[in-house]
Amino acid sequence: MLSLPVLAFAAALPAAGDWVPMRWPSSDPRSLDLLSGTPVNCLLLEPRSWSAEFSAAAASQGIVTLGVIRPDQAELAARAGPAGLNGVVLEGVFDKPVAAGGLTVIEMPPRARLRFDPPPVVLATSQGVWPGIDAAEEESKAAPSGAPWIHTNSGFLRFVRAMTTAPVWMGCQPPPGVVFPAARYLQAVGDAAITGARWVISLDQDLNQRLLARDPPALRDWNRIASHVHFFEQHREWRRMELTGGLALVQDTGSGGLLSGGILDMIAVKHTPVRAVPGRYLDDTRMRGARMAVNVDPAALDEARKETLRRFTRGGGTLLTAPPGWKFPPPRDDRITLDKEDIAILDSIWREISSMTGRHNLGVRLFNVASTLSTLSSPAAGRPLVLQLVNYSDYPVENITAHILGRFTRADLYEPGGAAPKKLAPYESEDGTGVDIDRVSTVAALVLE
Amino acid sequence: MHRMTRRDLLQAMLAAPAGPLAASAPASPVVVARCLSYDEDQVALLDGMFDKLGGLAGIVRGKTVTVKINLTGSPARRFQGKPLGVTHYTHPAHIGALAHLLTRAGAKRVRFVESAAGTAGPLAEYMLDAGWNVRRLLSAGPNVSFENTNGLGNFRRYVKFPVPGGGWIFPSYHLNEAYAETDVFVSLAKLKNHATCGVTLAMKNIFGITPASIYGDDAPAHEPNENPAKGRVDICHFGKRNPAAIAAPEKDPASSREPGYRMPRITAELTAARPIHLAIIDGIETVAGGEGPWIRGLRPVTPGVMIAGTNPVSTDAVAAAVMGYPPRDPKGRGVFRDCDNTLLLAEELGCGSADLNRIEVRGVPIEKAMFRFAA
Repeated sequence: MLSLPVLAFAAALPAAGDWVPMRWPSSDPRSLDLLSGTPVNCLLLEPRSWSAEFSAAAASQGIVTLGVIRPDQAELAARAGPAGLNGVVLEGVFDKPVAAGGLTVIEMPPRARLRFDPPPVVLATSQGVWPGIDAAEEESKAAPSGAPWIHTNSGFLRFVRAMTTAPVWMGCQPPPGVVFPAARYLQAVGDAAITGARWVISLDQDLNQRLLARDPPALRDWNRIASHVHFFEQHREWRRMELTGGLALVQDTGSGGLLSGGILDMIAVKHTPVRAVPGRYLDDTRMRGARMAVNVDPAALDEARKETLRRFTRGGGTLLTAPPGWKFPPPRDDRITLDKEDIAILDSIWREISSMTGRHNLGVRLFNVASTLSTLSSPAAGRPLVLQLVNYSDYPVENITAHILGRFTRADLYEPGGAAPKKLAPYESEDGTGVDIDRVSTVAALVLE
Repeated sequence: MHRMTRRDLLQAMLAAPAGPLAASAPASPVVVARCLSYDEDQVALLDGMFDKLGGLAGIVRGKTVTVKINLTGSPARRFQGKPLGVTHYTHPAHIGALAHLLTRAGAKRVRFVESAAGTAGPLAEYMLDAGWNVRRLLSAGPNVSFENTNGLGNFRRYVKFPVPGGGWIFPSYHLNEAYAETDVFVSLAKLKNHATCGVTLAMKNIFGITPASIYGDDAPAHEPNENPAKGRVDICHFGKRNPAAIAAPEKDPASSREPGYRMPRITAELTAARPIHLAIIDGIETVAGGEGPWIRGLRPVTPGVMIAGTNPVSTDAVAAAVMGYPPRDPKGRGVFRDCDNTLLLAEELGCGSADLNRIEVRGVPIEKAMFRFAA
């Protein structure tokens, strides 16, 4: 049972939609000092770190504590309440419901088992690729062509955002046994945030240990990571905006929406502004503003939704339909990316998509952005337009050019750590408005009005 | 590898075996200048070099000038994250400076051209992908433009360029019309090694004038492909097939398929078919060990040198010597150990002399500018 003081503080805890989660490696209340001044307000704790003392100390700082339970530990749920935890995170595949004594329960299953209806408190998965560019993979390429391949969860997260109104968490962790530079964590933060999701911050074991020991370089790295999280939390209005773009990709959970490295990611690498439209929700509203569409699984649509696409084409839209018999592999617990054979099949439709989108400006065209991914979002009213960028290379990207569809007279560049946005000078371009961005270190957002 | 020392240079000049063709091939003065950084005034630098060549106005006044730049490989492929202009691409500072100087010297039109890797889209967009400020470059002169010659681009036809003497690999080349609508042809190259040809300088730079629409791996057998997405490896490097039927087929399908045999010959043929009037080679910052980041063992180097001349073979000969390579080394020796020597082949076609004895070097002497590229 919670003590009265804890209950009093618990009343002031943030709502689930505002939780900024992190896997926390300690049960020592003094470790909470490391979170002072950061936006992190929700800690995921392994059972060994559950303690009423720690939970109370966290609650006194307005921090939510959640106990992580794995499938073979279901009985631990009964201990969560006495340990002062605010809830539990069920990470993995649970065969039976877990009784958590009325505490908040967040499911964090493999992607294939995500439950969208009814909208959960938080929609979370533990399955993701570790975002970034694999340097060794790139070095082995012996051809003069081709941009670096970016490992990203952003395509999957775009789809999930289109499926739910719930807050979305990406719970992937750094691969074990590897020490990563801080930049990779900044990329992981941005990879989720530009789609409106949150990465459950998770540091490698080495960094965790050094951080708890207050090692100065580790503290510097942690400050950088926290400043990037803070950047996106400062601009929660971007998270609430709709991902927009003149290209609509109609797919669903059974046709690639839950995979990484699929069509959404391939389109994103080309920086074509794309919106995911789940087949089950396909209607005129979702298609509003789209000029091109790709329907990857025509057989899965019912007659009403097929009619929506017919109206789209009668209205002047261009529709590309996957060839008959073409099928994405079904989602599985043990797989979130495509096999080589699938990629070879995907290549045929990808060429068609690439040819269709060509040099068309479907919201924005970006240049000199080979190592970056971007999203374009806006509120229902259409303005402001927010272009968010994540750079996945080890080096800053310099001299980016954006050709934005439509006329804009104001362009503000926001970056982590910047006290005020940098005012850029928009100019007329072939497509409407041009903006030159001198440099992007890891993440940045261009807000256009 | 046979490296050139200062003593070697002297010996090369005194004793290099130049045959009768070399003796008759034209030789022109070559200017060598020191420059340690692109932050230095490139307009003043190039202006001074052109003055030493007799001035730019006499060459370009009232003329349409086509400048072949070097944008080899996709702009997405960076070396160690560095800007492309300090590794394997022409530096944008030189494009801006040259556009300004050509305009000031009275050029009627200045057109920068390249057959951009894997695309026939606008060259300006390719340059934007390289991180260049295209608006600023365009403002360098009123009649400055960019043309991607990988396909037809803004032109209507391909033009046949016969190889004088008939050539070894192809008797003629079909090129974008921009190369015909040219009074003065400039090669604005980079001082680099080349994995196949040993060195890539002013002449090798124009290997890239061949359109992938005709000579590309995805060129159909008959009509050109105006949306090329691949390189020219199958047709040019390895001779696995003929170009699109609009162009002449290979002369001798039984000839060697070795890239070290074919590439130097194709380069020399192109130099003869589409003569270069001004060769400019940027060795301020560049790479050694290969032509781009896809070559293993590449390393950044700062030779701090610029080289220019009105004869491409002579200019390349001086550039090779500055890199520490005897320019008349035959196949099997030194930097030409696995390939024929493009310079000697171009000399054989009468394009110019690679004989350092016959080339007047103005400005910084070779021995003072020398920067050995060999590892």
